[in-house]
Amino acid sequence: MELVWDWRLARVYDAQCNIIDECVWDGTRSIAATVKRLKNLKSGQMTDEARVLQERFPEANRVHHTSFKNWPVLDTYEAELLQKSSLILAEQEILEVSSAPDFRLEHLVRALDVSRTTANNVESQLVDWITLLLPSTDVDQHRSSLAATILDSDDWDQFVSQFEQVNVAAVQSGEWNSIRSLSEQIGNANSAVITIENTLQELANSYLPSLSILLGPAIAAQLCVAAHGRDRLARLPASTIQVLGAEKSFFSHLNQGTKPPKHGYIFQHTWISRSPKSTRGSIARMLSSKAAIAARVDCFGGRPWGAKERSEVEKKVGEIRARKKGR
Amino acid sequence: MNSFSNRVKIEGRTLWSRNALRGVSLRGERLKRQGRIEWRQWNPFSSKIAAGLLKSQQPGILPTIGSTCLYLGSGHGTTISHLHDQVCGSNNHSEGTIVAVDLSPRCIIDLIQLAETRPGIIPVLADCRDLVSISPFLCSEVPWLFQDVSQSGQVDIFIQACERYLASGGTGILSLKSQSERDASVAFANAEDVLIKAGFTLVEKIDLTGWEDKHMLFHVVK
Repeated sequence: MELVWDWRLARVYDAQCNIIDECVWDGTRSIAATVKRLKNLKSGQMTDEARVLQERFPEANRVHHTSFKNWPVLDTYEAELLQKSSLILAEQEILEVSSAPDFRLEHLVRALDVSRTTANNVESQLVDWITLLLPSTDVDQHRSSLAATILDSDDWDQFVSQFEQVNVAAVQSGEWNSIRSLSEQIGNANSAVITIENTLQELANSYLPSLSILLGPAIAAQLCVAAHGRDRLARLPASTIQVLGAEKSFFSHLNQGTKPPKHGYIFQHTWISRSPKSTRGSIARMLSSKAAIAARVDCFGGRPWGAKERSEVEKKVGEIRARKKGR
Repeated sequence: MNSFSNRVKIEGRTLWSRNALRGVSLRGERLKRQGRIEWRQWNPFSSKIAAGLLKSQQPGILPTIGSTCLYLGSGHGTTISHLHDQVCGSNNHSEGTIVAVDLSPRCIIDLIQLAETRPGIIPVLADCRDLVSISPFLCSEVPWLFQDVSQSGQVDIFIQACERYLASGGTGILSLKSQSERDASVAFANAEDVLIKAGFTLVEKIDLTGWEDKHMLFHVVK
């Protein structure tokens, strides 16, 4: 005896493929109801009809409807209903994915990266340009304030008068306007960086509290995105967390036998980047195992870490530094 | 002129499908009128099926008009739109179905938009390895299955999907990217062995060099 079902109906067949019992979905066949059924089926659940028949015939084997030869085909109305419902279901599922903090975090991290790159690129373009126009001034020194100074000046002459100069190029008003609009871009990109950074910090602090306390929200967010989500980060071994962000050198190590990387994103943490070179590997190892614990605390609903845990780790960092110094 | 069906043809060195949505070019493909029929160019650089059709020596790559197709790894829907031209036709008057599975929400959004203007396409957000999540959208085994997922273990995914969903005698087409496998140099030879051992009849191996480097289409029959 075989129990077969799909979203429309459930049937029990005997060995000769005769229908013994049948239970058809008799509710209103609306799109919303079909979407609900498809969703349940997709997650591996049985329909109500299938459950009814299973109770009536507990000894029946469950058979997959697509491999059952005599399973009724969809009529035109059902095919249309299935098609329309599949669109709604797909949209719902996309919303589920995109409303997850992991997804938001990913886009914030990427947007931050893009804005930072833009700001830097445009800034170096501007510095190159102005350097050639003011050969006797060290423009590089005023790098960060250059854009703001240009925006504060009404014209080229006023801008130039703020520097001690011997030789100055002549600049037409069109060119001056171009310089100004380039400077505006830098200002915009910089303010975008600040806005995104603040949002990112807020989200990381609430979504990854322990990891953010330990490593700072920026690194915590980068790790989470690199691992493709908090759930997966929490399941990574500490040794992987240690080299997340150093994929290039890690895979060249595996493929070509170069030296393995000691640290990835966590290098940005001052405990590592400000430590003597010889201690960085050990500290990265210790810190990544603590980070793995912190990520698990965040993911599986433990009590979030606070200043106490952080200072304990900091003490260990100090111990490693002292131990290496003593040698 | 070489016709695959009255909806897909080769003219000179270009491939054309009969546009099911008159006047609409999806990604800027060329359109041309021949009497009442509008043809839409099918670009072999952005569709592996198109490249396969242009290079193939054997018939049977295209699904038949009005059939049900399972397409694993649908991407942004370029190939799907041309398959829709073939299988469903204008406003799906041929009553075909294309179940398009992809893992990426971004791709599924594109497919939803495609499906709204081209009835007959069923977009499914799912991992191709998770066969349970595909079955609610199918009614029976399908006569045509295509897989293009570019991830490690493609051949195993393909075999599992075919065992479960491809009707016996049905056409299965696997697009294999050697670079997605651990050992790229032997990927094609291994794949052939595995497919034959799994009980498929290999109709043709189509090397897509020139359009998609390091790609091979395996055309099999269950």
